Amino acid sequence: MILLETSNKILEETLRERFNSGPEHLLIKLADFDGVTYQIATPESKTQLVISMAMGCYDECQRYGADAILQREYGSLLVSTPEPGFAVTLKIDLEQLPATPEAKEQLVQQVAHLKRNALAAPFESAFVAQCEGRTTDLMAVHYRDAEAIYCQAQADRVTVIFSTVFKEETDRIFGKVFLQEFVDARRQPAIQNAPQVLYSAREPPLEIRGQPGLVDDENVGYVTFVLFPRHYATPQARNEAIGRLQLFRDYLHYHIKASKAYMHSRMRARVDQSLKVLNRAKPEQPGANKEKKTASGKTFRRM
Amino acid sequence: MSNTLRPYLNAVRGTLTAAMCLENFSSQVVERHNKPEVEARFSKEVLLTPVVVSRNENEQVLIEPSVNSLRISIKIKQADEIERVLAHKFTRFLMMRAESFVVLRRKPVAGYDLSFLITNFHTEQMYKHKLVDFIIQFMEEVDKEISEMKLSLNARARIVAESYLTQFFA
Amino acid sequence: MSGPEEFQLFASPITCHAFNADRTQVAVSPNSHEVYIYARRGDGWTHTHTLSEHDKLVTSIDWAPKTNRIATASQDRNAYVWVHDAPSDTWKPTLVLLRFNRAATTIRWSPHENKFAVGSGARQIAICYFEEENDWWVSKHLKKPLRSTVLSLAWHPDNILLVAGAADMKARVFSAWVKGLDVKASDPVWGERLPFGTVCGEFGHDAGGWVHDVAFAPQSRAIAWVSHDSSVNIATGPQDPVVTIRTNTLPFVSLLWASETALVVAGHDCTPYLVAKQGGTWQLAGKLDVGQRKSVTASNAMSKFRQMDSRAQQINSDTELETVHQNTITSVRAYSGSGPDPAANVTHFSTSGVDGKLAIWDLLSTSVSRMTV
Repeated sequence: MILLETSNKILEETLRERFNSGPEHLLIKLADFDGVTYQIATPESKTQLVISMAMGCYDECQRYGADAILQREYGSLLVSTPEPGFAVTLKIDLEQLPATPEAKEQLVQQVAHLKRNALAAPFESAFVAQCEGRTTDLMAVHYRDAEAIYCQAQADRVTVIFSTVFKEETDRIFGKVFLQEFVDARRQPAIQNAPQVLYSAREPPLEIRGQPGLVDDENVGYVTFVLFPRHYATPQARNEAIGRLQLFRDYLHYHIKASKAYMHSRMRARVDQSLKVLNRAKPEQPGANKEKKTASGKTFRRM
Repeated sequence: MSNTLRPYLNAVRGTLTAAMCLENFSSQVVERHNKPEVEARFSKEVLLTPVVVSRNENEQVLIEPSVNSLRISIKIKQADEIERVLAHKFTRFLMMRAESFVVLRRKPVAGYDLSFLITNFHTEQMYKHKLVDFIIQFMEEVDKEISEMKLSLNARARIVAESYLTQFFA
Repeated sequence: MSGPEEFQLFASPITCHAFNADRTQVAVSPNSHEVYIYARRGDGWTHTHTLSEHDKLVTSIDWAPKTNRIATASQDRNAYVWVHDAPSDTWKPTLVLLRFNRAATTIRWSPHENKFAVGSGARQIAICYFEEENDWWVSKHLKKPLRSTVLSLAWHPDNILLVAGAADMKARVFSAWVKGLDVKASDPVWGERLPFGTVCGEFGHDAGGWVHDVAFAPQSRAIAWVSHDSSVNIATGPQDPVVTIRTNTLPFVSLLWASETALVVAGHDCTPYLVAKQGGTWQLAGKLDVGQRKSVTASNAMSKFRQMDSRAQQINSDTELETVHQNTITSVRAYSGSGPDPAANVTHFSTSGVDGKLAIWDLLSTSVSRMTV
C-alpha cells in the first residue's frame, strides 16, 4: 500500500454497516490525520445518526469558503449549529436513506470525505480563481500545531507551500532523501507533466516570507508545489489534485515511519544473524546430551 | 570484497589474534577481585600498547590489549549524513542488545562507534579463533548492512515520489 | 606417529594440574574454587576426591612426590597443604599462614619438600616451612625488587635457589635459604654467600613481556623463561649474556626442561613446541603436535537443523582446531623420564589447557624430537 486514501476508513465502514443493518445505539470517537477527530453518535433516537467533526483549522477554512463547499456537498444533512466542541455536524436519518445500494454507497463516500471536503476550501478557491484568470491573496491554513499549508493563485499558476516539522534527526534526514526524490522525479520523461516540486530546508520560500508563525529551526522544511492549469482545469483533475495535495504531508511522514520500521526489522534480522555467528565460537557442550525430564516426569535424551 | 578491504581486515585479524592471549589475572589493587584491567587501568604494567589499524581516516579499529582483557573499538565508515544516522541507529540498536552479544560493550570508547570488550572468561568459554572470525565478519557486515539500508531508503523514496506525482495526471 | 593420550576431563578450563609420584593420580582444578583428584582406571580417570576449602579460583597445585602432600594456592589469598589420611581415605587441609593481602598465584614445593614457595599478586613471594613447635606452616616474604604480580616460580635442585617470573617483565633468581632448615649454602654461579632474600640475578627488560613461566635446568645452573613477547630466553649466569629465541608464534605460557639441550614450551598457540640446542645454538625446532583434521562426526538431520538454527551453517566445518588442545595450553609438566636422572631426560610430558583437556605426550615419538633430542 503505497498511496493513502482520501476518505476516512473507519468512518466509511461504520456508516456502511449502520446503513445496511438494524438501528443500534452508538457512540464512537475516532481520529483522522492532522488532529481531526470525529464523533458518531445516536443521541436522540437510534435512527438519528449524528456525525460531528472537530478540526483545529476550521475557522481558517471557513474564511476561504468551507461553509459553501460543505453546503454544496451535504446540503440538508448539515446541522446549522454544530455540537459543542465540534466544527461541523451532520445528521442522517436512517429511515430516510436512499433506496438503491449505489445511492447509499455514494452517501457513505460523501460523508467519509468530510475532512477532505472541509480542507478543500483554500485549494478550490485558488483553482477556481486561477481558472477564471484572477489571482488571490496567500491563504494560510494552520492544519497542525507547527505546520501550515499556504495556497495562492498567481497569474499563470497555483502555488501550494507546505511547512513541515521533522521531530527528530532521523526523520529530518530521511525526509530530505524523500523530498530530494520528489524534486528529481520530474526529470523522468514519464512524469514530466507532474507539478514541479521545490524543497528548501529551514529557509522559507519567497512567497511566504514575512508570514506570521514561521519557525526558524533546522528541523523545519518547506515544500512548494507549482501547479499549472493542466493539473486543475477539469473538475475531475481538480478533485484528484485537492485530495492528493491535502495528504502530502501525511504521505511523506507515513513513508518516513515505514522506512524506519523497515530498518528496524532489518536490524533485528541482522542481530539474529550476528548472534548465530557468535554462537559458532561456543564449543558444543559434551554435557548437552544429558537426560532431560519432560513436564510429566518422563526422561528423554536429546540426540 | 574490495581490494583495500582485505589487507585491512587481515591486519585487524592478525592484531586481534595476538591480542587475544588472555589469562585469569586477579586484581593487584582490589583484594579478592578480578577486574578487566583494560577497563580498570589500575596497574600500568599489565596494559599493552594500544594499536590502531586504519584503512582511512573514517575507518579505523583501536585494539587495546591487557593481561586479562582486550578492547576493540570500531569506527564505521560514514560518508554522508544518511550513513551517519544509519550507523548511529544500528550501533545503538546493537548496544541495547549487548546482553545477548556477551562481548559487546554497552558504550563505545570515545571517538569510536562501537566497542567490544573481551575478557579471559570469554576466551575460556569460546574458541578464540572463532571469536576473531566473529569480529571480522561483523566488521564486514556492518558496512554492507549500512550501504544496503541506504540503497533501500533511496529506492523507496524514488518509488514513493513517483507514485505520488503520477496521480496528478491520472 | 602415535598421538598423545588425551582426556577430556570436563568442559570448563583446567587451570592447573599435578600428578602424584607414580602417576596414578592427578589433581586438577576445573577453573573453580575446588580441586578434583582423579585416579587412573585403565584407559580413563575416575574422580575420587574433591578438595574444597578455597573459596575463590584455585590458581596452582603442586604435588610433592616423596612426602605425598598437595599444596594449593588460590585467588582467595590462601594456600593449603593437604595430607592424605589413609584410614579414612580423605585429604586433610592445613592452612598456611601466607600473610598475603592479594591473590596467591603460583605454588611450588622445594626439591627436598621441606618448604615451598608461593607467588602473589601482592608483589611478594612467601617461602613457607613447617614450624614444629607451633604445628603450622609459617612464611617468610621476599619483596624487593618485585614490582608486579608473581606469575611463576621454580626451584633449583639444590633446594636453595628460586627463580621467579613476574608481570613486571623480569625473571629473578633469589636465595630462599632458611635458617635452621638449610645448611650454609653457596653456588658457583649464582653467588658465594646466599642469605635469605639475596637477589642473585635479574633478567628481562621493559620491552619484553610478562614472564609467564620460569625453570632451572635439571643439571646445569641455567635458567629459562618464556615471556609474552613470544620469546624463549635462557641465562646461564648473572652476568652472562641472555640467549633469546624469538618466535613468530603466539606467546608461550609454560615451559619444561626436557634435557639440558631441549625445552618444551606451550601456550596460546594450543600446540607444544620443542626448543633445542642444535650445533651450539638454541632454536625453535618445531611443533610437537603435527595436528590432523578431525573427522567430522556424522551429522544427522536433527543436528543439521540445530546447527542451522543456532549458527546459520549446516556443519561446523572449521570450528575445531587441528591440534589436540582446542584452546590455550596453560601448563606443561614432566610425566616420566629415563636414566639415572629422569628430570634430565624427560620422555613423556603432560599438558592441560583451557579446553578442559589433559594430554600425555610421548616426546620421542615425533619426528621433530627424534631429529634433535
